[in-house]
Amino acid sequence: MNSKASASASGAVTAHDYFLLEGTIDAHCDKLLKEIPSRVRHTQVYFDFSKAGRINSMGIALLLRCFKEIGSRAEIRLEGLSPMHNMLFKMTGVFLLAAPAQSPGREGGVR
Amino acid sequence: MLPMQTVAVLYLDEEDRKFWSPSLDRIPELFSITVAGCLSLALDRVRRLRGSLGLLVISARLYPGKYPELARLLRELAPGLELLLISSEDSSPALGQLFADDIRHLAIDSRQGVPSRGCLPAVVSLLIEQRHWEIGSCLKPGTTVYSFQLRSSEDKEPLIAALEAVLTGDGEEIALLREKGALLADELLENALYNAPRGSRGDRLFQKGERRDLLPRERIVFSFGFDGETLALKLTDNWGSLAPDSVLEYLARNQEEDSVADGDGGRGLFIIWRFLDQFHVEVLPGQQTAVGGHLQLSSRLDPEAPRGFHIAEYKKEMAA
Repeated sequence: MNSKASASASGAVTAHDYFLLEGTIDAHCDKLLKEIPSRVRHTQVYFDFSKAGRINSMGIALLLRCFKEIGSRAEIRLEGLSPMHNMLFKMTGVFLLAAPAQSPGREGGVR
Repeated sequence: MLPMQTVAVLYLDEEDRKFWSPSLDRIPELFSITVAGCLSLALDRVRRLRGSLGLLVISARLYPGKYPELARLLRELAPGLELLLISSEDSSPALGQLFADDIRHLAIDSRQGVPSRGCLPAVVSLLIEQRHWEIGSCLKPGTTVYSFQLRSSEDKEPLIAALEAVLTGDGEEIALLREKGALLADELLENALYNAPRGSRGDRLFQKGERRDLLPRERIVFSFGFDGETLALKLTDNWGSLAPDSVLEYLARNQEEDSVADGDGGRGLFIIWRFLDQFHVEVLPGQQTAVGGHLQLSSRLDPEAPRGFHIAEYKKEMAA
């Protein structure tokens, strides 16, 4: 996962955190997703799912827990969602905590 | 062989009857009752059929919306009678009411109709003949059904890969079916590996994510088949620990739009239900649970809409 600050689409610099999620998101991501809230420094957080694969119900539970913890102090935006992710997030209430980003996927993540 | 039993269908009106007749008229011993504004007369006709009635099919245009008391009245009239609710996609019933009335069988028709209605007679015959759901019932004759018996949790990913390998082809439709199939297999396998095994007090024996071997007498069988249009999946375990009442409760709870509980709460079963066109759960308490269903490559059901389900409890053993 990556964390970085980048320029917004309008050109104005907006500080935010950025996390790139890769691979299958399931029970094995427990530790990783628990750590994310403590790494958030800004009031805007982007989660990039363009490299994410299958997300099962345990993965959804972990994402919800993570987003709930971040949501009290930062706005969460989701990007790189596949049609499958969209369906899944809509039916499981993920979009009630985190909205899809309007802009296309950002580039230049720093590892 | 069971004696011939009557299937009665309760329609709201003539328009409702015409909508369903292309699929239901093929069912033998079918008795149509159109309420047409006079419920007491319709109930009287049901009363007269009681002796031979094996299944009562109710249109969702009648219940729960128009006559919310209907299920209760029918149960008073014919205790123990099996009720099947049929609904078009645009008038999907509220699950809370179905849960309260213990309606365990729902068939949903897509707006465009014909393809998904092909399985309605199969659902009716399943209920009237008190048969167990078979994976091949909605597949074309001759379709290969693959079955695998698990040895450990390490078998999960290879089995998902085997399923994906059967769903070959290019294009968005088949790619989406592959993704759905993989997720369904994941949820079914996780459910059998980690939710089904219970101790004597009902506590879970294994935690999700941990590597585990199957216990000496434990049996988990994963089956699937694809006939080029329909994908069918089934997972059977020999725990029989899933309570049918809990299934409907899980579906109803997770369907609430403001539900963002981060716990488990049956979300896996909810996801399975919502990605299938028809969802089947059959339980032989303490002995066997079978969970599965089918979905079509060109499913026209709205991904956000509720799906059909068949939740049954049996006394005799099911085939894996």
